[in-house]
Amino acid sequence: MAPIIRTVNLTKKFGSLVAVDHLNLEIEEGEIFGFLGPNGAGKTTTLLMLITVIKPTEGTAYVGPYDVTREPDKARTLIGMAFQEPKLLWVSTPWDVLDWHAKVCGLSSEERRKRVRWALEELGLWNERHKSIHGFSGGMRKRVEIAKILIQRPKIAIVDEPTAQIDIVGKHRIWNMIRALRDEGSTIILATNELYEADVLSDRVAIIHKGKLLVCDAPKKLKDSILGGDVIEVVLEKEVPSKIVEELKAINRIVDVLAVKPNCLKIYLNQAEEVLPRITEFFMKVHMPVKSIQMSEPSLDDVFVHYTGLTIEEAQKR
Amino acid sequence: MAVKAVMHIMERDIRYFFRFKWWVAGMVSMNLADLFIMAVVYTRMVNPNLVVNYFVFFAPGLTITALFAAAFMIGREVNMEIRRDIIHYMLSLPIKRWELAFGRVLAGSVRGLIYMSPLLLTTLAITYLYTSVFPSPLELFTIIFTLFLVAIGTSGLSISLALSTTSFEKYITMRGVVYYVLFFCSTVFYPMTLIQSSLPTPLVLIARYNPLSCGADLSRAFLLGTPPFSFWMLLDLGIFALFFALVAAFAYRRAMQK
Ligand SMILES: Nc1ncnc2c1ncn2[C@@H]1O[C@H](COP(=O)(O)OP(=O)(O)OP(=O)(O)O)[C@@H](O)[C@H]1O
Ligand SMILES: [Mg+2]
Repeated sequence: MAPIIRTVNLTKKFGSLVAVDHLNLEIEEGEIFGFLGPNGAGKTTTLLMLITVIKPTEGTAYVGPYDVTREPDKARTLIGMAFQEPKLLWVSTPWDVLDWHAKVCGLSSEERRKRVRWALEELGLWNERHKSIHGFSGGMRKRVEIAKILIQRPKIAIVDEPTAQIDIVGKHRIWNMIRALRDEGSTIILATNELYEADVLSDRVAIIHKGKLLVCDAPKKLKDSILGGDVIEVVLEKEVPSKIVEELKAINRIVDVLAVKPNCLKIYLNQAEEVLPRITEFFMKVHMPVKSIQMSEPSLDDVFVHYTGLTIEEAQKR
Repeated sequence: MAVKAVMHIMERDIRYFFRFKWWVAGMVSMNLADLFIMAVVYTRMVNPNLVVNYFVFFAPGLTITALFAAAFMIGREVNMEIRRDIIHYMLSLPIKRWELAFGRVLAGSVRGLIYMSPLLLTTLAITYLYTSVFPSPLELFTIIFTLFLVAIGTSGLSISLALSTTSFEKYITMRGVVYYVLFFCSTVFYPMTLIQSSLPTPLVLIARYNPLSCGADLSRAFLLGTPPFSFWMLLDLGIFALFFALVAAFAYRRAMQK
């Protein structure tokens, strides 16, 4: 099947700054495609080119069959976007904003009422529906912004940092709503700088930095591709002899073992969930009772460091 | 679909306008107050050889300036949308750029007409009181059509200016220059005979082709009988309206490139 979105050397320059640099991406129909990168990586700029709000300096993108530089009007009939910064007139109310948005997107009045009500209730804004957005908190505004796309249900839905500023309960609710949107047939492009968000939602993730594509794959594969991508912290009842540490290192997929304290080890490894049983078995065999064991996920930092050789802080300084 | 899209865009701007209904009502009252103060003060000061009754002369002029100012308001909002990047949202909607542009031009002009209507009614009443003339339905229609053309052109002009800059200061400066030139070199406040006798030729030319002059004089032609109705004034306004509606549409197409 042909990809529903294809970028061909997509480039955007702002003066001498190359915000997006010869980006080649293919997004399949029906997937949730995560678009990861640190601040200023060029995520939003890329998305704005896809929705024909800004024009590429070089190269192009295809939205369905439409070239965004040649047939922007047609491309926009397939695609919708919830923006990173809510684009709302402060004097309006959530109801008016969403009802109007649905109208412009061609929903019938009955369908409109139904969906707007549903979205406002789900996002916890029903009681505020007739209040002026002027008095809303950042998170509430963000909810109104994300509601637009959930109501519109475009063939291709772009969500730019959909849960930034939103509390944890709200985050989970929005993630579920994004999944439901996909299940109803939309393709989702999710820009984020939180690896966790990209991980729990995306089928595939592209990492970009300074406008360039670094890598694109399923999140699991991405994390596993980094050496020592997973971390297991083990606290033992007694001190660990160095012999045991060496034996641990010999276990397949364990990359490194660090004794943080005499009775505490940090184990860097790949595919932790597969290796974990073997680690516990090992400690039982050597008669070292385990007090606690904790697994942590690699962070965007880890993946990012792996692919750029820089930490995010370093990358941002350059 | 195209008509619907244009209507939706208009709806948004017109609703926005009515959010400020009390402010609008206040402004209209101030315009009306201006009119009556003018009537009291100037009618006796103005040389009756130039203008027989300044009150009835000035009323259509004030109506036009109010229409112009109200229809121009949309530009301020469009410029504000650029500065807050709300334009990204407008440009991302699944409608064509010309639908967006025409919707906004029409909305701006309808808002101008709404704002102006109390002033137009007052003008009709004053004229009737002083001269016992009330325009026939066809004349009334022509007057309103004329005003509509002025409104379209003004709204298109303000949107085109607003889209040409991301700086509010620049927009306000441009607006100031446009206001100054169009109000000063026009027959809104004084008749053509006075302009011809006291202004240099280039300014006289501006005054003659100025859509505000044409708008005011077309109303006067039906209400006061002077200056006489002339078809080219209607043509002038038609060109003004069409030209700036198209420029606004072009500006919205170009807005994507930034
Ligand atoms: N209109 C503009 N004019 C000039 N530079 C711009 C403009 N828009 C973006 N940039 C620059 O382009 C680069 C990429 O910005 P972009 O907003 O695409 O990043 P991002 O990946 O979305 O970051 P974030 O995670 O902070 O949202 C940044 O260096 C930014 O300063
Ligand atoms: Mg961004």
